[in-house]
Amino acid sequence: MFRATLAGLRARTARMVLSSIAIILGVAFVSGTLILGNALNQQVHDEFARQAKGVDVSVGISHATNAGDNTKITQDTIDSVRKIPGVAGADARGGGDIAVIKPNGKAASAFVATIESTPQLQEFDLVSGAFPKADNEIGLDERTAKSLGLGVGQKISVLGPDDKPVPLTVSGTYSQGSNSLSLSDMQVLLTPSALSKLDKQSGLYQIVAAAAPGVSQQELADRISAQLGKAFSVQTGDAFTQDTLQHAGQGSGGLTQFMLIFALISLVVASMVIYNTFTILVAQRTRELALLRCIGAERRQVFGSVLLEAFVMGLVASVIGLAAGIGLAALLEKAIGWIDGSATSVSVPMTASVVIAAFAIGVLVTVVSAVLPALRATKVAPLAALRSQLDTHDDVRRTGVLRIISAAVLLLGGAGIIGLGMGLKDQPNATLFTVGGGTMVMLLGVIVLGPLIVGPVNKLLGALPSLLFGVPAKLATANAGRNPRRTAATTAALVIGVTIVTMVTVVANSGKQAAAAQVDKRFPADFVVKSSVYDHALPADLATNLRSNGKIAQVAPSQMAAVNVGQIGDEEATGIDPSAIGTMVNPKMVSGDLHQLGPGTVALNKQAAGTVKLGDQLVVSTPDGNKTLKLVAVYDAQQLTDVLVTLDTLTSVAPKATGYYQILVKVKPGVSTADGQAVMDQATANIAVADVTSAAATKDQLNSQIDSLLGLMWALIGLAVVIALFGIANTLGLSVLERTRESALLRALGLTKGQLRLMLVIESVLMGVMGALIGVVLGGAFAWVLIEALSNPELQLGLAIPGGQLGVLLLAAVIAAVLAALMPARRAARMSIVAGMAEA
Amino acid sequence: MSAVASDVGLRTAVQARELVKVYGRGDTAVRALDGVSVAFAAGRFTAIMGPSGSGKSTLMHCLAGLDSVDNGQVYIGQTDITKLSDRDLTRLRRDRVGFVFQSFNLLPTLTAEQNILLGLELAGKKPDRAWYDTIVDTIGLRQRLSHKPSELSGGQQQRVACARALVARPEVVFADEPTGNLDSRSGAEVLDFLRMSVRKLGQTVIMVTHDPVAASYADRVVLLADGRLAGEINQPTADSVLSALKHLGA
Ligand SMILES: Nc1ncnc2c1ncn2[C@@H]1O[C@H](COP(=O)(O)OP(=O)(O)O)[C@@H](O)[C@H]1O
Ligand SMILES: [Mg+2]
Repeated sequence: MFRATLAGLRARTARMVLSSIAIILGVAFVSGTLILGNALNQQVHDEFARQAKGVDVSVGISHATNAGDNTKITQDTIDSVRKIPGVAGADARGGGDIAVIKPNGKAASAFVATIESTPQLQEFDLVSGAFPKADNEIGLDERTAKSLGLGVGQKISVLGPDDKPVPLTVSGTYSQGSNSLSLSDMQVLLTPSALSKLDKQSGLYQIVAAAAPGVSQQELADRISAQLGKAFSVQTGDAFTQDTLQHAGQGSGGLTQFMLIFALISLVVASMVIYNTFTILVAQRTRELALLRCIGAERRQVFGSVLLEAFVMGLVASVIGLAAGIGLAALLEKAIGWIDGSATSVSVPMTASVVIAAFAIGVLVTVVSAVLPALRATKVAPLAALRSQLDTHDDVRRTGVLRIISAAVLLLGGAGIIGLGMGLKDQPNATLFTVGGGTMVMLLGVIVLGPLIVGPVNKLLGALPSLLFGVPAKLATANAGRNPRRTAATTAALVIGVTIVTMVTVVANSGKQAAAAQVDKRFPADFVVKSSVYDHALPADLATNLRSNGKIAQVAPSQMAAVNVGQIGDEEATGIDPSAIGTMVNPKMVSGDLHQLGPGTVALNKQAAGTVKLGDQLVVSTPDGNKTLKLVAVYDAQQLTDVLVTLDTLTSVAPKATGYYQILVKVKPGVSTADGQAVMDQATANIAVADVTSAAATKDQLNSQIDSLLGLMWALIGLAVVIALFGIANTLGLSVLERTRESALLRALGLTKGQLRLMLVIESVLMGVMGALIGVVLGGAFAWVLIEALSNPELQLGLAIPGGQLGVLLLAAVIAAVLAALMPARRAARMSIVAGMAEA
Repeated sequence: MSAVASDVGLRTAVQARELVKVYGRGDTAVRALDGVSVAFAAGRFTAIMGPSGSGKSTLMHCLAGLDSVDNGQVYIGQTDITKLSDRDLTRLRRDRVGFVFQSFNLLPTLTAEQNILLGLELAGKKPDRAWYDTIVDTIGLRQRLSHKPSELSGGQQQRVACARALVARPEVVFADEPTGNLDSRSGAEVLDFLRMSVRKLGQTVIMVTHDPVAASYADRVVLLADGRLAGEINQPTADSVLSALKHLGA
């Protein structure tokens, strides 16, 4: 029997190759995503691990006891650690934000870290020059240096205390590590003493020490602990490493989950394609298997032969698929590196789980896919099977009662889950997952119902090509509809892929629209000037300057301060220009009148108002001043702070809050966005921290963020769709083999080669469009459900159908279906009529 | 035109001249047709007979433009079909030739009626209703027109195939063992129908068979042996055909 199996494998090479492609693609995608997830994890892991590299003892400020509350790490602390016997080197680490003045004169916030003087303790890799040693030196991250266009030896200024630019020399560039995704744009390095001079807010938070040879980590930790006392927590390097890695695990879990969802989708799609392929393969071989049994093979033997064949095929395809998956992961890593412009090193970490997953899918799914049809095939009495004609028996029986019942259960169950999710409005994440899960259950219900649906849909879709192309199209429609189960199973994979793509696209588009509406709400002004650096206010004369410009209609500056409101607690308060009320400051009102805001009055956000009523007197205070104010209005707006007063009132309560936090600007009617931008740029040219944004630019930025996320999703789900299209090519190829005699008959009766090819292309396009169309309709409906579920009074999402994108999707399905049909069509047309008629 | 067997005095519908067909190459080459020259008269029912492997099917395939020849010419009417491109051959089959094969004559996705009209539809022609009705009534399957092939018996399927072959009024109908898969009663129905189509409707039918009884329905029998013409019988009976075959050593 084994030899018969091998002979079978050899004899059906073409079919084998076709079916193997489905398995290879499925295995490649699942293992590829898993490997990519591993690689990204590894990068995050390395990123965190380098913090602990070379550290024998780590000292932090103790949070366990109250003793640490007023403790600071100072130069004295470092010096005292350095003097302890057994310490080979010790350095402080610190970090914070600093305002770097870019070559265009504008300030930008950069993340600053400190560099250790002990080489063993340094957590960054030098790329060029040297690490900063003096207080007037600065190190730049490789990418920061590139984006600023600066190199070693050049000067760059940062904003020091009192907003004075302090010039520094670039001592060198360094690299942050392998993970290019997790870090923000601007990264610089200073010496610890330069950091404390330039930015009073950023503190030193850790001392790291290296042990002298022969001194154990624990010994050194004990010595340092004894010296520093209870106010500091002292850890060995090993313990610090473990703590750090634990954080790393938390940091990258989300990404892995995200990738796994896509791996799961492609797994489902690939399994369906494999299962369908085998159903067809075994159905075609029913006669062959029956012949084997007629000549004396036992049912068990025949069955075993099918299984063995599936096993061999699954095994070979898994190996190829795994190799392809490694390539895919490497390619994706390169692509990620290319997108953000970093020279990411490509690594393909293999874990047991990747290998197990690959073979589980490749071998297990293949074998299971072969078992069920083989069971069916060997159940038929051998002679009945020998006589059987194609598409007449079991495989065409439209639906069973069981099918309808299970579809109904799935559809109702899915609807129930969605209903449940709708009830969880206050927890957006839970809603998303429950409703999303519910739609997927319903999707499964539709898939189960598939054979019932494809018939009518096929008739409907077939009408147009039949009008255009005549007989070949009519034959194609008949062929696509002749075995609803097969057609349904073939298109199911595509339905799944397209449904999810559509869902994601529609939701993202609706999100874009909502974001645009949100921007309009937040930007009642044409331009907003803000300080680009936290804690550095805009100068007061900027507002005066702007007011005097002929093109500007209205200027409304505001300032913010942390205040305490008696009866309510600590709040953020905004002081606004009263002239902006009703125009540029125009929140939804709950009670009272915002126009009454003036000297001696205050307005509150609904969420902060609590039991306080209109007319109540509230004491608003800061350490530097206080005022009793009457509550005149309650508004409801997420985009405003909880306390609103006039600028004058704020200045009297918080006299230290000088300058402006932001300035809203409205241009005169008829002034174009470009002209307005020019005016704004000119007015802020000499103010480093001034950052001008326009409503239009903000919308663009938001949209491009959503678009790039959407692009990633398309790419990931796109792979599943490609697998699904291979499924169509597969089915078509197998159907062509199966219909060799039919094709020959048609050719004998006068169907030209071109018409025969056209017929197969149309059949493929029918299946492709059928899958894509059902997917688009389902995806749109599911997106609507999801949008309804995610909408709340604050964020009203409206269904926005991106006609263009969905059109592209459908067009892509048509083109891909045509491509899928090319090979089978060529093969069918090449077959000679006489040989075709002779085929069993 | 040396040894062309023909019916004297009748218009020739199909003619083969020095037809050679070789399968394979070198040692394994088989000369399935080895210089066959034969003519088939219009409006007559001719059977091609011979032992198994004598080249009957090959001859029919070459005559009908289903297969290429290695040497010689085939004329359908005035057309030398060995000179036609694949495209023109397809057109010729569609417009001027009808076929009945041994089995698998019908498309399983189409009803009996759609199958009958398939050739005309491919040619983009409207069926002649009166002619169509005549044929349908003659095959006696008016009640079954909306049935799929899987719902018809073997004999009924073959009759539908005959109807399809005749409905376009082709110059010639080729039938390759049309009764090979049928029981004798169904076979007789099909043969009756073919003979009737010649007698009453004036069709030209060329039928390949190895069954002397089937051959006895024909007006003339052409005998093949080892890829060569081996004689002919006019107005054959089952007995005369059988004895001729015995002569050939089959
Ligand atoms: N496709 C083919 N390849 C090789 N030899 C063939 C092929 N078809 C037929 N033959 C050979 O040609 C000869 C004639 O075959 P055929 O015309 O089918 O005979 P018949 O129909 O009279 O039984 C036989 O010897 C057969 O083996
Ligand atoms: Mg034959």
